[in-house]
Amino acid sequence: MDLNKLIKISTLAGKIMLESGAETYRVEETISRICIAYGAHTADSFVIPTGIIVTITYYDEVATLVKRITSRGVDLNKIDAINDLSRRIQTEAINLGDFNKNLMKIANDPRYSPLITLLCSSIAAGCFSIMFGGDLKDFFGASLIGATIKIAIIIFQKLNINEFFVNSFCGGLCAILAMIFLKLNLCSNLDKTIIGSIMLLVPGLIITNAIRDTIAGDFLSGITKASEAFLIAVSIAVGTGAILSIFIQ
Amino acid sequence: MIEQVIIAFVASFGFGIIFNIKGKNLIFAAIGGGLSWFCYLYLIQNGISTILSLFISSILFSIYSEICARYLKTPVTTLVVCALIPLVPGAGMYYTMYETILGNIKGAVELGLNTLASAGALALGVIFVSTITKQVTNLKKVKEKLFNK
Repeated sequence: MDLNKLIKISTLAGKIMLESGAETYRVEETISRICIAYGAHTADSFVIPTGIIVTITYYDEVATLVKRITSRGVDLNKIDAINDLSRRIQTEAINLGDFNKNLMKIANDPRYSPLITLLCSSIAAGCFSIMFGGDLKDFFGASLIGATIKIAIIIFQKLNINEFFVNSFCGGLCAILAMIFLKLNLCSNLDKTIIGSIMLLVPGLIITNAIRDTIAGDFLSGITKASEAFLIAVSIAVGTGAILSIFIQ
Repeated sequence: MIEQVIIAFVASFGFGIIFNIKGKNLIFAAIGGGLSWFCYLYLIQNGISTILSLFISSILFSIYSEICARYLKTPVTTLVVCALIPLVPGAGMYYTMYETILGNIKGAVELGLNTLASAGALALGVIFVSTITKQVTNLKKVKEKLFNK
C-alpha cells in the first residue's frame, strides 16, 4: 500500500474542500474517511482555515503532510461533489487511481461563466434593494452598482489583495456611485440602493461556517471565522461611512 | 407580499449562482430563501418583534434545509447559506454606520446592538435545529450515552 500516494491524494481532497469553503469538521472527516477506506490503520487530521496537517499510519510506517491554504473562495458544488465521492468509496470499489482521476475532474470543473455570475450578482443586488423597501428606480441603480462591485471583486481576487481592503474599497465605491446616481435622478432612496448593493459583500458562508464550526467544537476555526465576518462588516461600514461622511457634511 | 417572496426567491437564486450551486440543489436553495423571507414578513406583519421573528424564521428554514438536504443527499450548508442571506441584517449595519457619521452616538449604539442581536438570533436558530437534528438522527447512540452500560 503506497502510503505517500494515499496521503497526498486525501490531503488534496481536503485542500480543495477547504478552498471551496467547507466546514472544518467536514474536511477532517473526509480526509480520515478516504485514508481509512484505502487501508490506513489510523488517520488523524488537524484543520484550521489556513492549513491542513495529516498523519496516517500503516503497520510501522508513518506519513505526515502539511498543506497551507492561501486562497479561500466559495464553491458549494465542489464541496458537494467531493463529499459525495468520498462517501461512494465506502460502498463501491473505486481504486485509488480512479479516485484521483475523479478528484482532478472535480477540481477542474468550471464554474458558471463570469457573464452569468455578473448578471446574477447585479439582479440579486437589485432584488435586495426592493426587499428593503426600495422602488423600481432603486432596483436599477442597485443592479448597476452591484455589477460594478462584482467586477471590482473579481479583479481584486485575481490580484490576491486582502479582503479587508477589497471590502472597504467596494463599500466606498458603492457609496460614491449611489450618490452620483442620486444626483442624476437614477435612484430615489440613497439608503435602499446602498444597502442592496452591499449585500453582495456580506460574508454569508463565513457566518454560516462560523456557527457550524463552533457547534461542532472547533472553537479555533469558529472564532477565527466569526472575527473575520465581523471585521469584513466593519470594513464595509468604514468604507461606506467614510465616503458618505465627506458628502453629507 | 407574494411579489416580495418572489423577489426573495430570485435574490437567493442569484446568490446560489454566485456560490456555484448546480442542479436541483439550486432550486431548493432558492426556495429556502423565499421561504425564510416569507416567514419573516408574515411574523413581522402580525406584530411579533424583529428578534423573535428572525429566530422563528431561522428555525423554520433550518428545518426545511435539514429535510431537503437528506432528500437531495447534499451537505446542509448548501441550503442553509442561501436561505440565510435574505435575513442577514445588512440594513441594520448600514443604519448603524449612518447614525455614527451623523454623530448620533446613542442611536448608533442602539441600532448596533440591535444588529448584533439580530445576527445572534439567526445563529441561535441554526444552532438549535442543527443540535437537535444530530441527536434525533442518532437516537440509538443517545440512549447508549445517557444510560451508560
